[in-house]
Amino acid sequence: MVTLKEARPVYVIGVGMHKYQFVSDTLYIDMGLTAVRAALKDAGIAFPEVESAYIGCTGIGMAAGRIMFNHLGSTGLACTQVENASASGSSAFQMAVHEVALGRRDVSIAVGVDKYGDQVRAVSKEAVNRLSDTAAIPLVKYAIMAEYLSKEKGLTGEDLALVASKNHTNASKNPFAQFQKPRSVEQVLAANTVAGTTTSLMCCPRGEGAAAAIVCSEEAIRRLGITAEPIRVTASALQSEKPQQGREIPSVTLAQEVTEMVYQEAGITAADLDCVELHDAFAIEEILYTETFGLAPKGEGQHFLRAGGSAIGGQCCVNSSGGLIGQGHPLGPTGIGQIHEIVNQLRGRNGERQQPDAKIGMAHMIGLGSIAIAHILQKEV
Amino acid sequence: MELEKPDLYRLSEDGRTLVLRGGRCASCKELSFPLTRYGCPKCGAEPDQVSEEMMDGRAQLLTFLTIHTKLIPGMTPPVVVGEAEIAPGMIEEIMLDGTEERYSDGMMLQAVPVEITKGEATMIACRFAPAEG
Ligand SMILES: [Zn+2]
Repeated sequence: MVTLKEARPVYVIGVGMHKYQFVSDTLYIDMGLTAVRAALKDAGIAFPEVESAYIGCTGIGMAAGRIMFNHLGSTGLACTQVENASASGSSAFQMAVHEVALGRRDVSIAVGVDKYGDQVRAVSKEAVNRLSDTAAIPLVKYAIMAEYLSKEKGLTGEDLALVASKNHTNASKNPFAQFQKPRSVEQVLAANTVAGTTTSLMCCPRGEGAAAAIVCSEEAIRRLGITAEPIRVTASALQSEKPQQGREIPSVTLAQEVTEMVYQEAGITAADLDCVELHDAFAIEEILYTETFGLAPKGEGQHFLRAGGSAIGGQCCVNSSGGLIGQGHPLGPTGIGQIHEIVNQLRGRNGERQQPDAKIGMAHMIGLGSIAIAHILQKEV
Repeated sequence: MELEKPDLYRLSEDGRTLVLRGGRCASCKELSFPLTRYGCPKCGAEPDQVSEEMMDGRAQLLTFLTIHTKLIPGMTPPVVVGEAEIAPGMIEEIMLDGTEERYSDGMMLQAVPVEITKGEATMIACRFAPAEG
């Protein structure tokens, strides 16, 4: 396999976002154009320089991306819509990165834009029943896992609330985040109980928004005279789940598999990571993934959290954007919003949420099915 | 009375319990649940390689909790769900009959018929309850 370290180097040169928000009358095109224009401005290039686009989108409909580009000038750019459930934006980003790495394009944009759609899932058309009516609802799977770990490893509702409190508080300092209020552990615990010990504030909200990231080659940086600090993408991996072994949820096992793949591709270990954006659709996930990523020993994710390891300024800040719980999870944009946060961290311009001296970051998403995807981004020093 | 999910279970002979409709693959010899129209989910063999194998509906409860919020249409919380081993190494999410006080981790369960109403219709659904004996 050709790795991103061996292939033509690929850099993120511009990122932009439209605030994630609750369902509204805002047109998707307004949100998408806001993110794309912000990314172009950040990169310091004009739209006609962009040769291809990958649009992560789940709820708008066919050809959402190409229709949006009508309003930026029909330059003839290659345009592909990407649907991979929650990981649609991450997959769009991966495709843009691979295309530039391969040398087929010099400048490509990944855009995630979404409205809260009809949420039709193919599993409902599989025509296979399950014993439990909630068998296809990830929230229930993770709440059961939290229940199991409470007996097995002493994980408490307060541990889950600490994740949510940290992420809501990070989000309160992020102008693009859907939630803007810091939340205490007590407030998180006092919210409506959804299932077991999981409360509503431990779950990501429904919403809408947009995010964009422009990637390019070294040649393009020279040719276009780009002065924005380029952030290199050094690894990209995606896999889907295998049958469950023991009690671990397959998506958790899978998250470990893809992170081991990207660590190997980038030639790093978990100890090298300064900032991580991960799929915290539910608070329990953050604790589990910090373990599977190797940031904390297995079974000790809550201790890593409590010791401040995942706080901004800690060993490796986790979800400084607020994560899915705080920044929001509009599906199509989510994975690209993570790239936005990591690029800002690695460029040292993340304001109040800056992780000191951040050089290496990882973005991780899970998509229904499930699939896991991860990217490593590095500051060139 | 109609079964809610007849592709998953049948009434046992005495009508007091449910048996689950698994599939045994002639190619890889593995048992899978549920039996589907598509073939063997373990090895990908064609549907004609998979024959129905009834499972006794006994299961070991691993973990359970109460759902307090209406997560899907037609659900009336509180609902108790859990994970159970319905055959060696085969873990499935199941719905438990009654409230969580009846249950403890590790206990043996039995699939039983429980009457439910769906819209206008009354049906027999599969719930798991503490196994007798
Ligand atoms: Zn087979």
